[in-house]
Amino acid sequence: MKRIYSIGGGKGGSGKSFIAASLGILLAKQGKKVVLVDLDLGASNLHTLLGQRIPQRGLDAFIDKTTNSLEDVALSTTIPNLYLISSTKCSLEIANLFYAQKLKVINAIKNLPFAYVLLDLGPGINFNTLDFFLIATEGLFVATPEPTAIENTFVFIKSIYLRKLKLALKEANMWHICQEEVAQLSKGALKSPLDLINILVGRNLENGTVFKDLLSGLKFSLILNKFRGQVTEDLGEQLVEVCNRHLYPSFDFLGNISYDSRVYESILARNIFIRKYPYTKTVSDLQNMARRLTGEKQQPIQIKALK
Amino acid sequence: MIKKFNDLNYYELLKIQYNASSFEVRQAYKNILAIYEESSLATYALFAEDERKAILGKIEKAFSTLIDDEKRNAYDKSLVDIGEIPKNLLTAKERQKAIPLIQVNTAMTKDNNLARIRKKIKEQGTGKLASVMLNRDFISGQDLKNLRESLGIELEEVFEATKISPTALEAIERDDLTNLPPKIYLKSFLKSYAEVLQLDAKQLVEGYVKNMEKS
Repeated sequence: MKRIYSIGGGKGGSGKSFIAASLGILLAKQGKKVVLVDLDLGASNLHTLLGQRIPQRGLDAFIDKTTNSLEDVALSTTIPNLYLISSTKCSLEIANLFYAQKLKVINAIKNLPFAYVLLDLGPGINFNTLDFFLIATEGLFVATPEPTAIENTFVFIKSIYLRKLKLALKEANMWHICQEEVAQLSKGALKSPLDLINILVGRNLENGTVFKDLLSGLKFSLILNKFRGQVTEDLGEQLVEVCNRHLYPSFDFLGNISYDSRVYESILARNIFIRKYPYTKTVSDLQNMARRLTGEKQQPIQIKALK
Repeated sequence: MIKKFNDLNYYELLKIQYNASSFEVRQAYKNILAIYEESSLATYALFAEDERKAILGKIEKAFSTLIDDEKRNAYDKSLVDIGEIPKNLLTAKERQKAIPLIQVNTAMTKDNNLARIRKKIKEQGTGKLASVMLNRDFISGQDLKNLRESLGIELEEVFEATKISPTALEAIERDDLTNLPPKIYLKSFLKSYAEVLQLDAKQLVEGYVKNMEKS
């Protein structure tokens, strides 16, 4: 079964691209066919984290109709099984993608013939980012254990929530009914999207539960990056528990990734961190995470008997 | 946002079993406070001021209800009445009792132990065997051991009563010269031993030391 993971989370610099690249490499090393899609439009730099020069072809060729298939622009990398769809060559106005173009890209991503599709998103909560995030079968939030990052993550989760609800309402032709409420919601008069659901449930029981189910179907996971041990190790579990208690989608905590200053060094040198420092805590954390995603168990070390 | 949260009953709120002990209630309360208190990194950005107030209020109410036996029973009854929990869940399983942090085995305290030894001596009577032993010039550890065993007193009981380590006691009874404590301690140990067995301490110490120096 094909799996699409989107890697996002409101704050910039939390390590989304690093984690996307690392997970991509580790999944490919497990023998899975993986494609990384750089959707940080206008600020794409996934290729650098893969130790690659600026790619000559990418999403731009698909958008300006040079090619009809998105698969064509998936370039092979130095890692076997790992492919990259870059957006470096896109025009400088690409960040403001037209709605029709966006739909086209979304559909093409859904149909990519790869076992694992990893979407690397940009920071912020603009509609493009949110819509790309919602393509995924599972959304991964990357945050750092800092108040600033956690604040932004909550904002991101709430925006995703609202966006999903809005799209669903439009699809069900219910938009006009609750437009007023949503308008108020956006202004902050309603405290959260859940209030809106509760209003809907109150007005029309059946439709309310439909939306509840819709939101319950969403699957999110949290990753805490640059973990240095100043805060409690339970922070991730606590965050996930709170989200599960108060929001409808199911949340899962994927784990902490230890901070390592050599990550910065390896980015400076345009090296692949995993290749250069394979025996670090950071890499073993990433390794465990990749195994959790594929459900693969750690292989016991085989010791050959001496003859 | 807090609608889903509001539907939880007190047990679900604290994430505990219906038969949880008061100790578990307290622990659960601490854990949930760590998540929802104002300084918590996990939630400070998620809730508005009044939302948090409402949540903390509910947690407080849940705790004060479940920690008080009377209130808790009334609350359980109300849950059964509205069908939230089946009736047999409360009657079938007794609520778990709190496990005490320190358990004192009263049977083995020093005073009780001494009283038990006294009782044994009274029943058996040290009488003849003791006077024969004490009247000898040389008293060996084996003599002591024979006397103790004839009274039906265990070595552990002597240890409990005197707090002399069992290895030292064994060395004394085996006349194990290399493992005996230094003389000054030995004398006071023998004195304590004699007191436990209600013997004449002076005679015992003299006889034992003589026997020791002879060999």
